[in-house]
Amino acid sequence: MMVRPVAAVLEREILKLLRQRGRLLSAMVRPLLWLLVIGAGLGAVRATHGEPAYQTFLVPGVLGMTLLFGGMLAALSTVNDRESGVMRMLVIAPIQHYWIVLAKALAATCAALLQAALLLVILGLLGYLSAQVSLPLLAAGLIGTALACASLGMLVAAFSPTLDNYATMMNLVIFPVFFLSGSLYPVQQLPYALRLVATINPYTYGVDLLKHAAVSGAATVHNPDFTAALDLGVLIGFSVIALGIAAARFSRDTANEPLVHRLANSPRG
Amino acid sequence: MTEVAIRAERLTKRYGETLAVDGVDLAIPQGQFFGLLGPNGAGKTSTIHMLSTLIRPTSGEAAVMGNSVRTQQIAVRRSIGVVFQEPALDRTLSVTENLRFAGALNDLPRAEVKRRSEELLELFGLSERRAQLTASLSGGMRRALDIARGVIHQPRILFLDEPTIGLDVPNRRAIWRHIARLRADFGITVLLTTHYLEEAVDCDEVAFLSAGRIVRRGNPRTLIQALGAYIVEVETPRPRELAEQLTPRLGAALIEGDRLQFCCNREPAELAALQAELAVTAQAVHWRRPNLNDVFLWVNHTDVFEKRAA
Repeated sequence: MMVRPVAAVLEREILKLLRQRGRLLSAMVRPLLWLLVIGAGLGAVRATHGEPAYQTFLVPGVLGMTLLFGGMLAALSTVNDRESGVMRMLVIAPIQHYWIVLAKALAATCAALLQAALLLVILGLLGYLSAQVSLPLLAAGLIGTALACASLGMLVAAFSPTLDNYATMMNLVIFPVFFLSGSLYPVQQLPYALRLVATINPYTYGVDLLKHAAVSGAATVHNPDFTAALDLGVLIGFSVIALGIAAARFSRDTANEPLVHRLANSPRG
Repeated sequence: MTEVAIRAERLTKRYGETLAVDGVDLAIPQGQFFGLLGPNGAGKTSTIHMLSTLIRPTSGEAAVMGNSVRTQQIAVRRSIGVVFQEPALDRTLSVTENLRFAGALNDLPRAEVKRRSEELLELFGLSERRAQLTASLSGGMRRALDIARGVIHQPRILFLDEPTIGLDVPNRRAIWRHIARLRADFGITVLLTTHYLEEAVDCDEVAFLSAGRIVRRGNPRTLIQALGAYIVEVETPRPRELAEQLTPRLGAALIEGDRLQFCCNREPAELAALQAELAVTAQAVHWRRPNLNDVFLWVNHTDVFEKRAA
């Protein structure tokens, strides 16, 4: 019953991603810049203290980064759909409106995973992947993180009717979420206040789960801060709650009309 | 007896202090071509949005193909197609991709969508454009595609909210040809809103909305006939004075700035005599056949319609 509509939303998202070469390219360049430039620079500083290679530590973080940007931006295409009129096609379809939220979240998850898979291939070619990688944990980490990021994106989209540019979103949500996680440094080593913030940041648990997967070396190199079970639990729990709130908000919005009015009054597409 | 496609009883929509739709009653039989007319802000779009379940009525009830717009929204949406004032298309997708997306959202199998798309693109003259990106289509072609999008799932009822707004005359004509073909080929019930009144003359029935209320309804040609044989327009610097002088002979006058308008059933010879008589006092005197715009101007003059009807 719902399979075709949901598949249609998914197909459209992937089609658009593959067509927007710039978006795909920047999704690859951004994490590689962090890994190869910042990772090498900071690694040189750390090396003087005799620490294990910083770049190896960064690999789960940059994988997570791809999922975070990919999932969030795809989810925020919901805002774009509102502006461009595509949302009219969705709200008039004979489906419950919460399905629109769930379908868009699933599409964003898949778009993020596609980008992460591409990055994994590049990392493999560059020799950053380790032979000790645990495939089940890697899959759980990628899927869980992608879903959590897409859900966060849907939550932001549901509450940001007037979101007019992605730069705002980048600075107010994506960067804080990225920096206040274990992507760049072990959470345990953060000052107390920052550690507290990192602990309530669901994205922290995504990166932590990727560290458990030993993508680029034994788990000891990555120093995961939590157990893999806790990581997965937080990711799934957060996604369910975020999507629940986003779907409720979106259905209320359509039922109580602000959305329809925005659609009716938005400038001609 | 023809079945009713759309029924509304005391349908009302209030936004805070504003009463957008005020107790509208409708009974539109299946297959009818129905026009909801009126100026901007009269409540046309709010009415369409309530009938298509996108906004909730404040009070009153409406049913589309027997399904309540309050409690059976999915069933209602399954039976309708909606073409909004603004296009509901993805400009970054191609013509066929847009139709495929719309078809899948309506749970149509892919083969069915393909067959329907081909049929509609052929009908609307878009076959050559099927692989083109929607952004590269002209305004008229995009509107045609949007209508195809609205009927891809073969709805029984089509809501068209100002379908020709912003289009030039040739494109407006093309859109009307498409709509006529949809009605002829599929017997689809069409509820249209427009403020280009001349376009509504082919409707089976029209209703004039003013400040959320239906102030007059009927067959457009009958309503036009009710006005009388001719509309007489007089341009004069002293409209009130002249109105008083002419009303005993021509009936009530409509005063708009320095123009007077009468609707009357005089013979052309009489009107020619009037023209000669007024040559000194009036700047110009014209007479012509009435049209739907005149019905709209006279819509509140109950006496005109009721006297003529009687």
